[in-house]
Amino acid sequence: MRVILAEDSTLLREGLVRLLVEEGHEVLAALPDAVTLLKETEEQRPDVVVADIRMPPTHTDEGLRAAVEIRERWPDTGVLVLSQHIERNYAAQLLATNAERVGYLLKDRVAQVEEFLDALERVHAGGAAIDPEVVRHLVIRTTHGDPLARLTPRERTVLEALAQGLTNAAIAKKLHISLSSVEKNLNAVFDKLELSHTEGYSRRILAVLRYLES
Amino acid sequence: MHEDSPGTTAGPIPRPGAADREAARGEGISRPPSWPRRGTGVLLGCGTALIGLAYFLVVGTALGAFLLWPRTRPDALGVLRGGARRLADLERARRSVFFGDLFPEHYKASDPKILRFLAVRCYAGLLSAVVLALLGFGAVLAVLLGRGAVRGSLDWTELLTQVLLGGVLLFLDVQGLFSLTALDARIARECFGPSERELLRRRIDELATSRAAVVQAVDTERRRIERDLHDGVQQRLVALAMLLGRARRSRDRDPALADTLTAQAHEEAQGVLTELREVAWRVYPSALDSLGLEEALGGVAERCALPLRIDFSVPGPLPQPVETAAYFVVSEAVTNAAKHSGATAVRVRVTRLGPVLTVRIEDDGRGGADPSGTGLTGLRSRVTALDGLLRVDSPLGGPTLLTAELPCA
Repeated sequence: MRVILAEDSTLLREGLVRLLVEEGHEVLAALPDAVTLLKETEEQRPDVVVADIRMPPTHTDEGLRAAVEIRERWPDTGVLVLSQHIERNYAAQLLATNAERVGYLLKDRVAQVEEFLDALERVHAGGAAIDPEVVRHLVIRTTHGDPLARLTPRERTVLEALAQGLTNAAIAKKLHISLSSVEKNLNAVFDKLELSHTEGYSRRILAVLRYLES
Repeated sequence: MHEDSPGTTAGPIPRPGAADREAARGEGISRPPSWPRRGTGVLLGCGTALIGLAYFLVVGTALGAFLLWPRTRPDALGVLRGGARRLADLERARRSVFFGDLFPEHYKASDPKILRFLAVRCYAGLLSAVVLALLGFGAVLAVLLGRGAVRGSLDWTELLTQVLLGGVLLFLDVQGLFSLTALDARIARECFGPSERELLRRRIDELATSRAAVVQAVDTERRRIERDLHDGVQQRLVALAMLLGRARRSRDRDPALADTLTAQAHEEAQGVLTELREVAWRVYPSALDSLGLEEALGGVAERCALPLRIDFSVPGPLPQPVETAAYFVVSEAVTNAAKHSGATAVRVRVTRLGPVLTVRIEDDGRGGADPSGTGLTGLRSRVTALDGLLRVDSPLGGPTLLTAELPCA
């Protein structure tokens, strides 16, 4: 796939470029900040943009703002943002419109090379990739009286896997259970969360995430 | 009352901080002048009190109507106060010359305070005159009594009664005189210098400010540590993990590449360790505890990008907080000089004179350092927390001189 990178740490940027090249991807540009990111994206129209959230000059959220704008202007470009910390409202902003071709990973996840590449593939394929740590964080925040508290442990793990953007088949593989068992659990989850389960799977993730943030 | 000599305060006085030093000069214990001189001062005080009384009577009567009339009142008050200020200056001079009082130079009392002082002062002065007159009268009586006793015109019971009565009256009179001179000293101090209450209030203000500044400095420091860890160590660790991940992935595809990557990862791991050591050192140089300030400053010189000369002449050990503060003043100043000033060399001098440790950092850069910048503000709060002073002299075009004075007591 054709990728544009924006990451301020030289060391990481170089590492990412090498990794992607080794994996057979094409790196169109590797930028140290978010300023030229939009211009490059417009000119080169990459398949996926990988951007760090915290970048110069202000070290706050310019990467995220650029990512949100890219999603609005070029919906078929995948966006994968890397975040220093778990920031719920960043994840929310990113997923505000839909949960297709989008990923939100903790920066440290890059260290798990396979998981990073896997997330990149999923975003490229039109899915979502939410960092397991982020999902866990959202799920942990639930309190008594929350419908999530009514989930069985198994349903909860299935929901976590789902929120990460995994397909039913991938969930089955990950949790070593049958596909039908996954579907059964998911149906139970959506019933308990009072979500209609007639929508596409990425919309369901969005719904879940939104629900968790409420 | 006796020990309350002029220029000293009864009761504990708060240890003045840097801001009070000048103000507190009035509270300094100076050697009291000789008796005759002070006696002259007291006599003169009676004179000035008479002048004050006359002033109040004459000017007060002349201005009385205008003072009551609302429209003319401000002007009349202005005239009255102008004269009062001059009289107060006279009193101040009298206290300084005859009693050796030291008043802060730039302290300006408010008008009501001046008027109040003058009123009390006139009363005390006139009362002193009365007491002195009584003393003189008593002395004359004593002489007469003595002569009567010598001539034998008094019987001994009458003499005894007179002596007893005179003794008591003499005691009361002298006691009154002492009290009045003490009062005179106290009201002058209240008017011409910050009162004890005011000193205390200032000290409390200063402490509140420095406490807030210390908290702020700690937060700034923490932010810096977080940035250090995040921008340095963490990024490098992620990069290291990536190298290892890549090596593992290419093991089957390209063993040669895997070897190269592993070697790179090994190198990177050493880099991370160095980085971590540097960050830890910036957080707190452990050499400070184990080897002392001089060694720790040597560490600064080693890490400094510029040539750094350190003159260190401090006999004997220093208190731990002072050492730490001095260290951070130097390291921060040197870092700033290297980063912003364009200097080619930095010179540090650490000297101790009596109870004060002085740290001077001089660079030959282009100056223009901002004393209200975060770095210097942090340093200032660190220094003022120890009741020290931090001066920044950095004209545009340089050179920059930073001086920190830290009390070691």
